[in-house]
Amino acid sequence: MTAIRTRVAIVPDSLLLLAACLLSAGGLLIARAIAMEETHRAINGDLVRQAIYVAIGLLALAVASRTDYRLLRTLAPPLLAVSLAGLILVLVLGSHQYGARRWISLGGGVTLQPSEFAKIVIVIAGAAFAADRRATGRGATVLLGLFAAGAALVVIEPDLGTGIVIGVTWFAVALAWGASWRYLGGIAVLGLSLFPLALAIAIPGYQRERLAVFLDPERDPLGSGFTLRQVEVALSAGGVTGRGFNGAPSALAGVAPRSSDFAFAQLGEFGGVLVTIAVIVLFAIIAWRGYRAAAGAPDEFGRLLAVGLTTAIVLQASMHAAVNMRLFPATGIPLPFVSTGGSALVAVFAAIGILESIAAHRSPRREWGSSPGAAPRAPASR
Amino acid sequence: MTPAGPVARLRILTLAALAISAILIMQALRLQVLDPVVPASARGGIPRVIPVEAPRGLITDRNGVVLARNTPRYRVALVPGDLPTGDEPRRAALMRIARSLRIAYSTVEQAATTGLATVDPFAPVALRQGLTNEEAVMVRAALAGVPGTRVEVAPSREYERTGALAHVLGYVGALPSERATALLAGGYTLNSRVGLAGVETQYEQALRGTPGRRLVLSDPQGRELSPLGEEAPTPGANVVLSIDLGLQRAAEAAVARGIQNGLSILKPTGQARAKPLPAGAAVVLDVRTGEVLAMVSQPTYDPNVFERGTSDAVSALFTDPARPMIDRSYMEVHAPGSVFKPLVAMAALEDGIVTPQTRIFAGGSLTVRSQYDPNVVYVFGDWAVHGSVDMNRAIARSSDVYFYELAGGYWENGRETFRGLGADRLASWARTAGFGRPTGIDLPGEASGLVPDSRWKRDVIGEDWLLGDTYTFGIGQGYLTASLMQMAALAAGVANQGEVPVPRVVRGIERNGVFTPTPALVGSHIPVSPEHLAVVRGGMESAAGDADGTAGTGVPHGVKIGGKTGTAEFGQPYPDGSFDTHGWFIAFAPVERPQIAVAVYLEYGVGQTHAGPVAKEILDAYFTHPAIADNRVTR
Repeated sequence: MTAIRTRVAIVPDSLLLLAACLLSAGGLLIARAIAMEETHRAINGDLVRQAIYVAIGLLALAVASRTDYRLLRTLAPPLLAVSLAGLILVLVLGSHQYGARRWISLGGGVTLQPSEFAKIVIVIAGAAFAADRRATGRGATVLLGLFAAGAALVVIEPDLGTGIVIGVTWFAVALAWGASWRYLGGIAVLGLSLFPLALAIAIPGYQRERLAVFLDPERDPLGSGFTLRQVEVALSAGGVTGRGFNGAPSALAGVAPRSSDFAFAQLGEFGGVLVTIAVIVLFAIIAWRGYRAAAGAPDEFGRLLAVGLTTAIVLQASMHAAVNMRLFPATGIPLPFVSTGGSALVAVFAAIGILESIAAHRSPRREWGSSPGAAPRAPASR
Repeated sequence: MTPAGPVARLRILTLAALAISAILIMQALRLQVLDPVVPASARGGIPRVIPVEAPRGLITDRNGVVLARNTPRYRVALVPGDLPTGDEPRRAALMRIARSLRIAYSTVEQAATTGLATVDPFAPVALRQGLTNEEAVMVRAALAGVPGTRVEVAPSREYERTGALAHVLGYVGALPSERATALLAGGYTLNSRVGLAGVETQYEQALRGTPGRRLVLSDPQGRELSPLGEEAPTPGANVVLSIDLGLQRAAEAAVARGIQNGLSILKPTGQARAKPLPAGAAVVLDVRTGEVLAMVSQPTYDPNVFERGTSDAVSALFTDPARPMIDRSYMEVHAPGSVFKPLVAMAALEDGIVTPQTRIFAGGSLTVRSQYDPNVVYVFGDWAVHGSVDMNRAIARSSDVYFYELAGGYWENGRETFRGLGADRLASWARTAGFGRPTGIDLPGEASGLVPDSRWKRDVIGEDWLLGDTYTFGIGQGYLTASLMQMAALAAGVANQGEVPVPRVVRGIERNGVFTPTPALVGSHIPVSPEHLAVVRGGMESAAGDADGTAGTGVPHGVKIGGKTGTAEFGQPYPDGSFDTHGWFIAFAPVERPQIAVAVYLEYGVGQTHAGPVAKEILDAYFTHPAIADNRVTR
């Protein structure tokens, strides 16, 4: 009994933690296979860097899970100010890569991608805003404005995928908040009808090209179609059990974002459909446990926060998988936990930590028998 | 709001997530198992991305005559990883390959064990290349059943042979090891070919185009099983030279004759002397744009050797003592001799050393007492006694004494009774006119030449600058060196109001039928007044036009030119104290409204006797050949 109690206190939701750890292990496997393939060595700089980011991420998870999430409610305004400043900063002095401006260089090869943290902060601020108010149509629209301000900044950057993730996350939060069905339905219809317009206007040339290739694969002026073809071949070459993580030449060789924007396909080639299904299932588990934490949250803030974070993570993963499997126009969107990118890894682990913290505060009447006093911070010394 | 409401709504979200997951799982099953683009039967194959080189751009002359084209050729490649294992079978296979291809066993052995083979045993190494279709069929038959070899199509380059264009065109080849790392990082592959000399390397980026890619399924040996996707390459752009092939051919013939005639200066001697290595070059520039209309250097070579020749033939080019790979027109520098005098004349007029009317008595030599020992007297000779000469006569007759004094002054009993420019001032003029640095021609490996001054001599040779050094500087000898290209540019500058153009061999780049001209640039500006420039040009006109002028041998039929000869001593003295000489000639024409500048260099020869007639032949070709005349109008 004591042992179980201790485990529960340290890891309020072990399934959630397990899913995160397994997924990031997938990322490390990709990095290792690519290192083997390209340098014939099991370890290279990219792999070490990814491992360090995972370690930092786990540290962020531990800190966040042992911090009372309600602290974030008071911290919301300063956090929002800082991350908006970061987004503006990246527009002014960010560095370019693949035609987009997303990074701030911190020197020494370390870069920071503010939009990754901004996504979480926008959710925190949105939850804090909504928790104090009734879910009227006006309130929900103001909340939309808050999300839209953040989305606008990341879309201008330009990052269509992140923009969609933020928009749909707002929708889920508004839904959980209790906005009227009529209001939600109207917004959904409006959003879906504006979507093609947004694609036509907001996206820059390179994304428009990707879209055009998606709509017409024969058209191939920039090689975007060739990359999509490589992704398709990589997935099918993986088959059921995959071609192994031992450095066999990949169909994605030479595709620069193979371990970020095409991580799902890369995993599918190395590990086969068993691994791709495992990845989808792990994100489904995160959705299940995340929304469960929301259902059990003791307050409105915790519930909306859990809904927002869970939706953001799972939706981004779904978008990534959909792009990789040609269900959605190619847009550069990384796979949470798996793709390279330190900012994204640390941010998503921190989000899981917050979900753990919310799960730790589940109302006793709904969850397995811990007393109200068994908050994560209380050591199980009985 | 009732508590049940929110929970129900959360259930909707969970169900939505599960529904999306189900869709994604179905799609994953479809793409990876049920309906894969790579059929399950071919699962053993390895997907490979193979770069596809773009067709290299053509090089044409100014009229569109193709000078470098692509031809399909075959090459025999060795795949070391496919050779039989075990020492004896492997040896036998290599022996058989060597015999079938008629190449040395050691060459095959080396290809199988070194270089690329150590990095990737399945990377093909070329054993023979440039095979025609028939040869390829024969080799394929001979190699049938020998594992580890492959006969494959290889892009090949074919070059125009006449016109001595090898140096301008250059050649392409495998990545040179010293640049391999940088080139591989820049998108080249181990099988790529890259321009290694001339225009081929200078305009590599334009000629190369953008490589495409092919996605194929291959077996573990690298053999293609089935194609999966392709991204077409973007062909390279065509490079249009400013060279006129007709004029180039005429210049080639003229230089060949000039080299032959110039050899007559060699004196028979019992003494052991270095074997003469005849050479010569000629350059024709458009004086206004700097476009190179012809550019010949001999000895030359056939650039096709790099495509079809054996490796012995290629290495012979590099070890030949005649150095055929060196372009004598811009890669090499020599003392220019008297063709440098027009610049000394401009400097002296501008700095007020002389007026056009100043007369100097040129009595056949100039004597100078040693600064250290008054009993020692140095004599600076002239090639003839010219009497009292002014600027026009001095240039026309190429008086050495006159130019000695313009540079070094005249000294009596340690006093300078006539003040000369001095070495440092003359050096500064030479640098202003573009000497001592590359002209900036769009070809690799240009030599700079040397403009000496007192500080240079102290720093590099460790001796004080002497008056005698200034005198020899004044007639373009001593330490001064210049390339033929620099002399051609000087001639163009004299013809073009002191604006010295940057010579260029490429007129423009043609991409998808759109022609982008390369810009005409001014390399240096000689700050000379029109009056003084007219005096110098007048001197060159007299040199070419007067009965006693030295440059009359270069005058073509029916066109007046300005010319200047040069004859510069070099090498070991003969027993009688004389030297072999380089022959030079520079000219601009027509004098009324100059269009072109011509410069000629002969390793052995006299400017007036041998280099002049070469220039005449080239000028005749330029002014009589209608195709070139048309070009002049349409420019």
